[in-house]
Amino acid sequence: MTSLVSARNVAKHYGAVRAVDDVSFDIEKGCITGLIGPNGAGKTTLLKAVLGLTDCQGSLSVLGLDPFRQRKELMQNICFIADVAVLPRWIRVNQLLDFVDAVHNNFSRKRAEDLLANTKIQPKAKVRELSKGMVTQLHLSIITAIDAKLLILDEPTLGLDIIFRKDFYGNLLEDYFNEERTIMITTHQVEEIENLLTDVMFINDGRIVLDASMDALPEQYVELLASSENADEARKLNPIYERDVFGKKVLTFEGISREQLTGLGELRTPDIADLFVAKVKGATA
Amino acid sequence: MDPKWNEDLPIYRQLRDRVVAMILEGVLGDGDALPSVRNVAAEYRLNPLTVLKGYQELVDEGLVEKKRGRGMFVTDGAQKQLLKDERQRFIEKEWPQVVATIDRLGLEADQLLREMSVKKSSKPGGKND
Repeated sequence: MTSLVSARNVAKHYGAVRAVDDVSFDIEKGCITGLIGPNGAGKTTLLKAVLGLTDCQGSLSVLGLDPFRQRKELMQNICFIADVAVLPRWIRVNQLLDFVDAVHNNFSRKRAEDLLANTKIQPKAKVRELSKGMVTQLHLSIITAIDAKLLILDEPTLGLDIIFRKDFYGNLLEDYFNEERTIMITTHQVEEIENLLTDVMFINDGRIVLDASMDALPEQYVELLASSENADEARKLNPIYERDVFGKKVLTFEGISREQLTGLGELRTPDIADLFVAKVKGATA
Repeated sequence: MDPKWNEDLPIYRQLRDRVVAMILEGVLGDGDALPSVRNVAAEYRLNPLTVLKGYQELVDEGLVEKKRGRGMFVTDGAQKQLLKDERQRFIEKEWPQVVATIDRLGLEADQLLREMSVKKSSKPGGKND
């Protein structure tokens, strides 16, 4: 079976800067993959390459197409919400629906109107009259009304208040996602999406430092909460990262079974945010 | 509104426990429909597969049945079954610990029971506080 998105040795250089540096990964249908990385890690560049918005080295196939050369075909089945507002500020909501209806084959105007009816957004309102949260809602409503196979979200909830953020993901699951659809999502607000994901990728300095299914994480990674004496013993098993919490040591291990650590302290599965710090900081330490 | 997930247990397991609690409390009765996977996923912002896995546990335990195209339903006698299991579990697992605590603290079981029945009878209205 071929993957929905398949990247092999993808690279993108801006002058001497390697924004994306020899990256390979696969994303299967029906997955919600989180792409997590600090600012400047190469997340947006990678997403742009997947969307065909930038050329790149290596080979990249999205829905079986070359995103840069077959962008037009690809755009029929792919949707994107960027971290920067891209809806023109002067346009009215109903004009926007007219436009998308005219240019997109897979858009259901009826569905978009039904979704908007559940919000406070008026059809006659101009984009510039809407709050930031409402613009995102509008954007999501349009995207949800497009029958696309792949949805790419780049920091979709940046700058939104907590209510809008929760509604955003709630609506995404309720109205958009099903097993035929696939979502790639980047965000800094890791806690907010970690229970949503089927897969997670960490990217740092243009390289993928972790690519795993969420189900596999508890088998691969374990955190030990140990006293200082026990920590000395545990260090022999080469933790990838160590930090202090309330006078105790927290050691993160990769590829070490829980049995090997029993008796040394409390064991738990690291959450995504802690694991991210462990992988990124641990690698540079 | 947001549930606090316990870090020590997988979320699907906690979902299963929550439905079990709802059946035990009678919030969900025999034959009642469980909230749809999509609804629960959206409400708690969980991956739908996680919700499905939790529901599947309940199906495997015979507490819930899948009806094709219609969703998940509490099986007849689920509450009875659960009460039986819970009583069994309490007697086997929790009660010995309670007894041990009573002993350790030097309390008299008779005295505790008497106090409990006094409390019960002094609150005729029940849940008015």
